[in-house]
Amino acid sequence: MSCLVSFSILIYIYITSDFNFSLVYQNSHTEKPLIYKLSGSWGNHEGSLLMWILILTIFNFMFALMSKANIRLTEITIGVQSFLILGFLLFLLFTSNPFSLLSESPNEGLGLNPILQDPFLAIHPPILYLGYVGFSLIFSLAIAGLLLNHIDKNWASIAKKWTLSAWILLTAGIGLGSYWAYNELGWGGYWFWDPVENASLMPWLAGTALIHCVSILEKRNTLQSWTVLLSILTFALSLIGTFLVRSGILNSVHAFASDPSRGLFILAFLLIVLIASLFIFARKGPFLDKEIKYHLLSRETGILVNNWLLLTVLFVVFLGTVYPIFTDIILNENITVGPKYYIFSITPIIFLFIFAMIITPYLNWSTNNYKILIQKIYKPILLSVMLIFSLSLYYDKLSITEISLLILSSILIMANLNSNILFKNNSFYLTSNIGRALTHAGFALLIISIIANASYAKEKITQAKVDDKIIVGNYDFIFSSISQEKEKNYHKIIANFEMQQHSGTLKKLSPEIRFYNNPPTITSETSIARMLFRDIYIVMNVPENQEFINVRIHIKPFMNFIWISILMMMIGGLFSISYRIKNS
Amino acid sequence: MIRKILFYSPLLIIILLGILFYYSLNSETKSNSPLIGKQIPEFSIERLLNDNDQFSSKDLISSETINFINVWASWCIPCRAEHNVLELLSKIDNVDLYGINHKDTKKNATNFINTLGNPFREIGFDSDGRTSIEWGVFGVPETFIVHRGKIIYKHIGPIHISELEDTIIPIIKDLN
Repeated sequence: MSCLVSFSILIYIYITSDFNFSLVYQNSHTEKPLIYKLSGSWGNHEGSLLMWILILTIFNFMFALMSKANIRLTEITIGVQSFLILGFLLFLLFTSNPFSLLSESPNEGLGLNPILQDPFLAIHPPILYLGYVGFSLIFSLAIAGLLLNHIDKNWASIAKKWTLSAWILLTAGIGLGSYWAYNELGWGGYWFWDPVENASLMPWLAGTALIHCVSILEKRNTLQSWTVLLSILTFALSLIGTFLVRSGILNSVHAFASDPSRGLFILAFLLIVLIASLFIFARKGPFLDKEIKYHLLSRETGILVNNWLLLTVLFVVFLGTVYPIFTDIILNENITVGPKYYIFSITPIIFLFIFAMIITPYLNWSTNNYKILIQKIYKPILLSVMLIFSLSLYYDKLSITEISLLILSSILIMANLNSNILFKNNSFYLTSNIGRALTHAGFALLIISIIANASYAKEKITQAKVDDKIIVGNYDFIFSSISQEKEKNYHKIIANFEMQQHSGTLKKLSPEIRFYNNPPTITSETSIARMLFRDIYIVMNVPENQEFINVRIHIKPFMNFIWISILMMMIGGLFSISYRIKNS
Repeated sequence: MIRKILFYSPLLIIILLGILFYYSLNSETKSNSPLIGKQIPEFSIERLLNDNDQFSSKDLISSETINFINVWASWCIPCRAEHNVLELLSKIDNVDLYGINHKDTKKNATNFINTLGNPFREIGFDSDGRTSIEWGVFGVPETFIVHRGKIIYKHIGPIHISELEDTIIPIIKDLN
């Protein structure tokens, strides 16, 4: 409750632009639109931390209200959760007070970083936090279950709902962040393997593994200790991510202003929480497991294999993220790990991963016959091989790796559609596994889109004068005019392009350069023509005293499908939750 | 027994990681140190806004005020963000702010100063980054506090307003 009040106060002082408060002074400005005044309240370290605590409390409250678990389990879960809240509150109080006052009151604020003035950015952090914090609840639940020796089917069915919700929110948060980067940063990319992006990806990977483990626990009452370990790991990664981002030991576009005392506090808090929980795990964990025999070819094995693969990817990402820190300490050298490292290490794992994703849902729990498996699965395999093979003859640019990945992904989509949308008597109905099918198909679509996007992207960087024609791929771009406009808190230069194909104008594109007054910052706004199968993307920049402008034109195929596939994964998750709620 | 060790291994890993993270937190202050307390490096470079004259280490050694040397570039986004704070810094009594313009073109650098304002008393134009190397700069922006020719403090990255209040101003008070 008090968290809600203080967060409302923070929002209030932002809206009223009370520059007595140092935080408002630094991040706001009277001329800023209302929504960005609001988002300014969490677009910085102190404000976002307060929001984090607010969300933590709300989750705690919701759990207390809705929990159907037995009273002891609920009590201890809330206790652990409250301890976490206490830790964050101390952190806020001692190192990052959002309400610290300035000695004198300035008339005007320093403004918000204009890169952060984007509606998607305004909602992306809160949703990401919801995800992170959601996993804190699973963590508390796991610790409570561990203490009570109460990790069983019942525990799993409570944990599953919360894990799924946290996972959906984290997926949404990552997706929105990536969408923002694509739209606003003007680099023409959607994922940069930036430490902060990695910090959100790591809990996502662990959380994905966790969801599947909880399923095994629920259905087969086995893998208790592994599930608990994953619950701790997922939350640990959220905390480590926070530490890496907030302490300033990593450099990134996202990093908040660094302050060593903050870093030390989070590190201490993180270590207390994790050492305590892992100690409990080490003491109690060995007695949790109930051994159950299952066949090598079974759904349990399939899920476990993918669990390990997910954790391998996680390890790769973790190593890439923290490696620069280690070389800095040990060799005193600053290095950066580039996208190539991630792509080369992760691609082979993805092969195995999709392969297991195709087979596992066809397997029964405990035991199977491989002949029946082949019978069930051969249709989607044949169809996909034929489809992708004929496509690859037409599009000659793909490598063997890409073709094989495309084939696997397409099998995965078809296998999911095949077994979960049934056609009978001219009408179709959905099976109860539609949630899983959608999520898995979404993942496959994501892989396909990423490959298509990478292989067929075109780019041209050139100089242009008014009336010039630039040709990229099948499109002509006519630079028709340039103009200038004044807005409330910036002025802008606009270049107008006409995009033509076969001499017919398809669209007008107008990239801008914006000059913000407070703080004085120049940003370039991309202009994007969205079509179903490709995005066309123009960025410009204006050199001093020249007749021409610099233009960069990108053709990005399949971008929409990347967003659609992320959406599919989320909707799949929602289906699973609603199915659970309906049946509980 | 093996099973026991297995269950303790996550605990061990997190402790090891904790130690590494702890060292990495402190390593920043360590990498701060080599030049601190030492005489400033000798240098002489042309001035950005005045072609005829040189900006050199002698200007700093002979000065009685507290000198801030800020290494910046027009292409550096954090430098833009830091500019407001530098304006505030330059207005503090008994403080002179100098700039070293790092690996930049004259036109862009002059333009940057003309649009954003000039808080610097003098700006050295270090187009090839040589002087910055002497100062041990490995990224822009960086700021040094120099008093009577000695380096007192080095700040890596843009100075945040809270750092100005919490760290920099106390150092100025100390020196006064």
